[in-house]
Amino acid sequence: MDSAMKAIIDKRVAVINPIKEGLIKHLNLPYKPEDLHEDISLFGAGLGLDSLDALEVVLCVENCFNIKIPDNDPSILRSINTLADYVLEQKQKQAGVQ
Amino acid sequence: MRALPLRDILAHKGAAFQERYGVQVPLAFSDLETEYRLIRDKVGITDFSYMQKFRISADAGLDFLDNLFVGNVAKTRFCRVLHTFLSDPDGNIIADCYVANNDEDFIILCESIVDDQALREVFNKNGAAQAGLQDLTDTHVVISIDGYKAWSVVKELFGTDVLGLPYLSIETYPFEGKNISLLRAGKTSEFGYMIMAPKELGARLIEVLLDKAQKYEGGICGIKVHDALRLEGRFFNIFAEGARVRDPLTLGLQWMIDFDKEAFIGRDPILRKRQKGLANKIIGIKADVSASGFIPGAELFSEGKKVAVVEACCLSHVLDSRLGLAVFPVGIAYAGLKFNLGKFGGPTVESISMPPIVPKSLSVKLDEL
Repeated sequence: MDSAMKAIIDKRVAVINPIKEGLIKHLNLPYKPEDLHEDISLFGAGLGLDSLDALEVVLCVENCFNIKIPDNDPSILRSINTLADYVLEQKQKQAGVQ
Repeated sequence: MRALPLRDILAHKGAAFQERYGVQVPLAFSDLETEYRLIRDKVGITDFSYMQKFRISADAGLDFLDNLFVGNVAKTRFCRVLHTFLSDPDGNIIADCYVANNDEDFIILCESIVDDQALREVFNKNGAAQAGLQDLTDTHVVISIDGYKAWSVVKELFGTDVLGLPYLSIETYPFEGKNISLLRAGKTSEFGYMIMAPKELGARLIEVLLDKAQKYEGGICGIKVHDALRLEGRFFNIFAEGARVRDPLTLGLQWMIDFDKEAFIGRDPILRKRQKGLANKIIGIKADVSASGFIPGAELFSEGKKVAVVEACCLSHVLDSRLGLAVFPVGIAYAGLKFNLGKFGGPTVESISMPPIVPKSLSVKLDEL
């Protein structure tokens, strides 16, 4: 694996793992982190979370990564991967500002 | 080969048919993009009667169902639908199933990669007769209503009540003097409903649905377009990646499994694989429309080394790209990486986050209408 690929993976893992651990802990999910596929749908099909769970997910991610998730964009919360994309994008913006 | 009860009606409307696991299914009625746009932008009516359908009384059937399926049927509340699957004894998936708790009975709808007889044998071998399982496969139809405007069609048919149905729920409604079952389900990422009705009502039902759909510029669809819609919405498709990969853990279907259950078909091999740890994982990929050879079985390369195999693909009209799923070793199964298709230096394929589209239906809040 070349270093560029490894850097992309490391950056992503650093976001995905805390999201998975947070979901399992805060929503009391009966899974191990490796059971949660990153593309799994968080609402409806998949994990089947409800609107109260959504609030938990948002708070958990906001606190963990020190970012703000807009409440008018449900597309961010479609899967662990879409959530991770948003976190990475926000972290990149924060790094740019600093 | 099983012919669907509405076969002649569908043929009259221009259906092209194909055999899928022992069933003659309506593949398409027009070009795929037209049917795709119907569902993404309006509403499409599709005959899903190819599904295997069963009913069993709640009292007699609960243990039987719980010993079959990987999901927890006992925890499925009244009027809710469990999305789960049926495994073979080796822990490989054979059917993708909805198990609906319809109060006094359970309704089971299966999409399987074995024919009707083989599926019946699985059920019979596990005590179907003693539990009183009724096979409705030949006596009932299933019509799917999918699309941005699907809710308008079912609302006209059954009233505003339907707007309150959550995803994966079931209700009974009267139609032409008989009771029919309405499931809020679907795998397109737009609004989706499925109606199961006795086959005598099938012709009338599809005519009424098409008539109402036409008010919203909707129309009839075949099942082929659903392959693309499922992939875009990252819904599991047993007829695509499911049939090729078979291993539920590589397919990312852990969410359908209750690992704490004491019994289900394939439990021990599945638990052993889970304990051993995942070696491969299926993830989303995307390529330019011009990338030729982007088909199931195609190989992906990194630094000249083969690293993955494409297991499903489609043309995404929303993204104007080729979309797919490929099985990678877990160490590199992440979005944001670039690979080559077919050979070193071949067309670029990027691993992506799924689902890659934002469906129009996500902007509609039914409970606020």
